[in-house]
Amino acid sequence: MATNLEDRTRANPADPVSVAVHLRPPKRAGLEERFAATDPEPGLELTKNPRVARLLRDRKFQFLLILPNQIIFWTVIFVGVLGTAVPGLNFGAAITWYVWFCLVFVMMVVVGRAWCAMCPFGGFAEWIQRRTLFRRTQKALGLGLKFPEPLARIGFLIPVGSFLLLTWIEEFFNIAGPGNPADTAWMVVGIVSSALLFFLVFERRTFCRYICPLTTLIGTVGSMGSVAGFRTKDREVCLACKTKDCMRGGENGFGCPWYTWPGSADSNLSCGLCTECYKSCPEGNVGLFLQRPLTSVVAPRRRRADVAWGVAMLWGLVVYQQFNATNVFAAMDGWLNKHLYFPHYPNPVDYLAVIAAVTLATAGIAWLLGKTLGRGEIAVTHPESFVDRTSRFRAFFVPMAYGLIPVVGADYFARQLPKFFKHSARVVPAVAHIAGFSSNHSPIYDFHILSNGWIVVVQVAIIVVGTAAAAWATWRIAGRELVPVSRNALGIRLATLGVVLSCGAAASVLYVLMHAAS
Amino acid sequence: MAITLIEAQASSTDRPEVHVLVDRCAGCQECVVRCPVEALDMDTERWVAVADEKLCVGCRQCERTCPFSAIVVTGPVLAGLRTTTAVVHPEPLLADVTEVRRGITTWEQALAEAARCLNCPDPTCVRGCPAHNDIPGFISALAKGDLPKAHEVLARTSVLPDICSRVCNQSAQCEGSCSWSLAGEAPVAIGLLERFIADSYAVPPPVRGEDADLSVAIVGAGPGGIGAAWALTEAGAAVTVYEKDPSPAGLLGWGIPDFTLPEQVANRPWRQLQEAGVELRCGVEVDASGLEHLLAEHDAVVVATGASVPVRLPIPGADLEGVTDATTFLKTARAAFSEEGGVEEWRGRNGLAAEAFGEERPHVLVLGAGNTAMDVARTARRLGLDATCVDWLDERFSLARPDELEEARQEGVRVRFSRTVKAIEGEGGRVAKALLLTTSQEEAGRPPKVLEAEPPEAVAVDLVVMAMGYRADPAVAAALPGTPVRRESHGVPDREWSASGLLANPASAFSFHNPVGKLALGREVGLQAAALPVRERLFVIGDALVGPATVVEAMAQGKRAAAAIMAARPLRPGHPSRRGSRRVLVCFASEGGHTERTARTAADELSRKGHHVQVLPIDKVGPKELAAADLLLVGTWVKGFVVAKVGPPPEVQAWLEALPRLGGLPVGLFCSYGVNPRSTLARMAAVIERQGAKVVATAALRQGGGRLDAIDFSRRVLAGAREIESAEVAAAV
Repeated sequence: MATNLEDRTRANPADPVSVAVHLRPPKRAGLEERFAATDPEPGLELTKNPRVARLLRDRKFQFLLILPNQIIFWTVIFVGVLGTAVPGLNFGAAITWYVWFCLVFVMMVVVGRAWCAMCPFGGFAEWIQRRTLFRRTQKALGLGLKFPEPLARIGFLIPVGSFLLLTWIEEFFNIAGPGNPADTAWMVVGIVSSALLFFLVFERRTFCRYICPLTTLIGTVGSMGSVAGFRTKDREVCLACKTKDCMRGGENGFGCPWYTWPGSADSNLSCGLCTECYKSCPEGNVGLFLQRPLTSVVAPRRRRADVAWGVAMLWGLVVYQQFNATNVFAAMDGWLNKHLYFPHYPNPVDYLAVIAAVTLATAGIAWLLGKTLGRGEIAVTHPESFVDRTSRFRAFFVPMAYGLIPVVGADYFARQLPKFFKHSARVVPAVAHIAGFSSNHSPIYDFHILSNGWIVVVQVAIIVVGTAAAAWATWRIAGRELVPVSRNALGIRLATLGVVLSCGAAASVLYVLMHAAS
Repeated sequence: MAITLIEAQASSTDRPEVHVLVDRCAGCQECVVRCPVEALDMDTERWVAVADEKLCVGCRQCERTCPFSAIVVTGPVLAGLRTTTAVVHPEPLLADVTEVRRGITTWEQALAEAARCLNCPDPTCVRGCPAHNDIPGFISALAKGDLPKAHEVLARTSVLPDICSRVCNQSAQCEGSCSWSLAGEAPVAIGLLERFIADSYAVPPPVRGEDADLSVAIVGAGPGGIGAAWALTEAGAAVTVYEKDPSPAGLLGWGIPDFTLPEQVANRPWRQLQEAGVELRCGVEVDASGLEHLLAEHDAVVVATGASVPVRLPIPGADLEGVTDATTFLKTARAAFSEEGGVEEWRGRNGLAAEAFGEERPHVLVLGAGNTAMDVARTARRLGLDATCVDWLDERFSLARPDELEEARQEGVRVRFSRTVKAIEGEGGRVAKALLLTTSQEEAGRPPKVLEAEPPEAVAVDLVVMAMGYRADPAVAAALPGTPVRRESHGVPDREWSASGLLANPASAFSFHNPVGKLALGREVGLQAAALPVRERLFVIGDALVGPATVVEAMAQGKRAAAAIMAARPLRPGHPSRRGSRRVLVCFASEGGHTERTARTAADELSRKGHHVQVLPIDKVGPKELAAADLLLVGTWVKGFVVAKVGPPPEVQAWLEALPRLGGLPVGLFCSYGVNPRSTLARMAAVIERQGAKVVATAALRQGGGRLDAIDFSRRVLAGAREIESAEVAAAV
């Protein structure tokens, strides 16, 4: 590179290092178009409010979010192991399965990764890794290794695998039924231990980003949410920044534990809302922004194959969890267990087969749409990248899968409702039971917020809302991303709309069948 | 040579491969803006970095600078062959102090080596150089054949290119920080190129600047004093240098033997300085009371007395005859070499006369194997002695220059690492043998373990020279508050240094696994401290400031102190043109905005009165900003609940405690409170006064209080500062 020595001799001799530094200008071509649809509006910046700003800048903020959950989940562990075996009276089982899981979904749909910001599992491990509860420390405990590149290349797929494994274990031991409360406790111990192990071996929040069973679910369903996460206020400032304290860590904050740069974030998929970038930015150029619901589903230009496959597999799992309540499934599972000498439900073969069938069916529909409606040849680019590789199939499958996110999210949410509406009141006697009061004869113990019939109505209503959201999102996505690669613009939009509506209808019907079977 | 490099690249089938982990690449472009060969670009559709492997040379700068570790480079480092130069040992060695290490002699060689420089956009070598020479800048000029321009680039930061290129340990500084070195390959021979420039074209003398009406005294004529005197002379100050020795140059004169630094090179700076009008008073020793006199006579005083007291190991037998120190050894040996028959006389004087030993050569044991020890041992060889160096460090973590170590061994010096001396035993009051113990060291920078359980090894010796380095004279240090400054960087490293990638790969084999980034950050502490007076108008530089260090550091600190003096333009009490406008720094820690508003109101008032005012939040205020101020206002919000735990917030407390010496700087303190400030200001004052500042006014202002209070405070601060000056004048009179 040519050196402009004249420029260097004119520079300030009192600061000799900066005289010699001649960084290249960052690339700006295509910047406007790339982020136009995903950048939140300045008016939706929450941190403009001085009280919010002060709160988020306080290093104790995340600690105080985590602390109550930490107390609750250590109580879950101790009470789960040492407390009563009656699930409804055991605080550990009651709070986890009647309340917590449902609330996590509410948070996902509205806020995104709010749970990640307050998660006691990652939070606890992070305290150990950072050797502090909330201070900005310099030296991390542990090996600080990078997550192996071949595994990191498949992005959000490993967590889907860990979610499928955990769900199967949960079904096998009837943990979430809930069954024996001690099983719930041991499951939590398992998650905390795994988190701690990964935090001590790998750098940052590698566990949360690449391993945590919930991360893909929260990331994808959370992208429907109205919180855009921490984003740049002015991208030019970020591009001109020579230090990237938000990524490396600065005086007041750690580098982003989630491998996200506010300067290029185009969705809330990987923003853990931990506030570290906000604290560390020396220019005050990072803000917490709201966005219109579904923006992170519809607007991002970069579509990721790992997210698409993750959505399809999560869809397969939730369908399995509905289908397994039907008599047909019970007969099939029984037959398989008998012939494969497997002790009891759920047989891993039908578990995986149903999930794979739904996943492949979803992908197959996309393949068919590409085959029948696709236009011309689609160049294969980025062949080395699982996340970004393009092909005719992917050109249809990936955007279509993004469009399905609201249906999948609604289905998961709806599935948590029966336990909440029927048994969440049991938390009250369960709390009292820790102190030696109350029993399952308490009137609150059997108090149902809604009857079974109404619960199905609410479930179907949620599916209808989710399907409507998915239909809207799919229509927009198809218009922008599928129409240019299709022969028939209206045809592809209607076809993908049809897929979404069919999925919504299938989920609704399954809820009715589940209700009938129970 | 340049052609060879290109051919080597072109013919190679084994090229570096760049793997961008697209899942993790956030498109921040840290790699793109820093890649020396423009091999990285952006895929704007995906917003991730993409690499053109055809351009990549494998320097791994991208790996080191990626904040998320999203780039992995595999394959070879296409660094090309490093130029080597001749090392010519005199034959025989006896009494011959001809320079051993030769420089680059031909333009062809120089251009070939210059072509290896990548001209990195964020050159880590510049950060690794203690003086922050614009290394790619002077190499570019050299590559164009423009030696005056190369000197012009060098002169901005160094006045000793001919000396530093000979005596610097480049492997732990610029060359250890070169991108090639950080990638595990041989770095650009920066020292050789600098020497080629300095040897091929005379180092330009200082050009006296327009009279600045400023008188500065410098105590000590070593490299620190040279740096300060040079910069002050060029800025137009009247400089008087006081040197206790009969001749100037300090360590350059007596401490570094001619075979490393020839006398005519060492004398060059003082010849030029005196020609430029610097007044040199040799043979004048300045003690603590002498400093007070100098402060009364001059507008500023720079203490550059160095570290000339040799470190002696407190071991049994250390007081035997035949146990000496490096200073004595080197000074007497230098004198011996300069006289006809001096060597024989020296040996006789030290009980090592040839007649007493016959065919055998007396054996000198040198304690230490750093650069001073190498000088001693090689000098001993030239005195006709056998020499062994022992050092308790592991050889992998040696503090010596690699080439110096190699040359010493070529000259027959035995260097034994992982050994330490337990005791020296004598016969008839004279040293006879040394007992050595084995040590073990696993990590650079960690003190080795002495394996006491093993039986000691007895080594027959005729002379023992303690060459573990030097320390500052304690009597001088006592008169200089806050010294010595430890060259250790604490807390969050400078963000731009982290971003440069220098701190990411601290253990290059080329630099003896020394953490070059960490060392460089430590040196920065010394450089910044040099710009701040330890008392009003009293600056300390070089080894007197930071303890035993290097020639280049002392010189750089001298230049930095000179720049600070010229920026502050301090005037002695009673000087007719004392103080017009001030340079005021107003710094604040604001939570709800009240403190910032007060700070800005006070700043506006000071500005209105014609002072130069800078307003900054405290987290943006470092030594550089403080050095540029002659009046400081510090404001904070008050933490606490009504009356509980009321005081300055922890970040302000930590900031105050981390302040460098403020050398009599007048300070105004204020706080904005909601209910009750309690002892907030008193606590702040206690901390800041410990750092040498003088609190001239304080104000506790209620949140949302009147603008007039802030204006009144700023006026009181000015009045307080004037009072201090009046008191000084009275004292001087």
